[in-house]
Amino acid sequence: MKIVAVTSCPTGIAHTYMAAEALEKAAKKMGHAIKVETQGSIGIENKISLKEASEADVVIFAADVAVKDENRFSGKPVIKVEVQKAIKNAAEVIKEAEAMIEKSSS
Amino acid sequence: MLFNEGMICMDLNALTKEDAIRQLAMIAADAGKLVSIDEYIESVLAREKTYSTGVGNGIAIPHGRSKAVKETFIVFGKSGRGVEWDALDGKPVHLIFLLGVPEAAENEHLKILSQLSRRLMNENFVEHLKRSESKNEIIQAFKDFGEN
Repeated sequence: MKIVAVTSCPTGIAHTYMAAEALEKAAKKMGHAIKVETQGSIGIENKISLKEASEADVVIFAADVAVKDENRFSGKPVIKVEVQKAIKNAAEVIKEAEAMIEKSSS
Repeated sequence: MLFNEGMICMDLNALTKEDAIRQLAMIAADAGKLVSIDEYIESVLAREKTYSTGVGNGIAIPHGRSKAVKETFIVFGKSGRGVEWDALDGKPVHLIFLLGVPEAAENEHLKILSQLSRRLMNENFVEHLKRSESKNEIIQAFKDFGEN
């Protein structure tokens, strides 16, 4: 499964990056390809291109503030969670993504 | 250098979150990193109100971005008994990273903070910090797990 994700938080100093790390680790462990874009104090890093967005099976927003350029992902199945949830239990967020894909393909 | 021996407290005796933040902020103030300690603490507590920075696994990462900060800093505090932090997993925190960022922070510094945040998701790094008993060991753990 190809996952793209965006993380962001109010100050963009800590949680944005912790959530990104947690999602990357969990997805890889569960055998998925993932690219995580961080929208933090440094600005946008590891930006997801239009092409990457269109090729993704599922999109995860672990964000507490509005995601920039959200229209890149229009038409894609999107899972929205609080950034805290991705930090606390990234594996569960990935499982939700898996379940969403199964549902849409069946 | 954002982090050095002078920015570490190995025996934090705070009982509350506010207390811990104040004690660690005083270390930053003594190192000349703050314009106003009260204003800085206010920004940190305001951030805590959005939601707790206790991210689980005994770690808290309180932070404030404010004009009360002169220079980006990291202060590390370790508490043996633990501090109640209203954390994601409900457990008290033992490792506290207090971060200060000026309004006009340099990207290079923000990068270091983002790398530290990422590293806190690394179980081995966290275990290392928990086992460390001296400032030297803490500094060594930082060196072993990335550049600072």
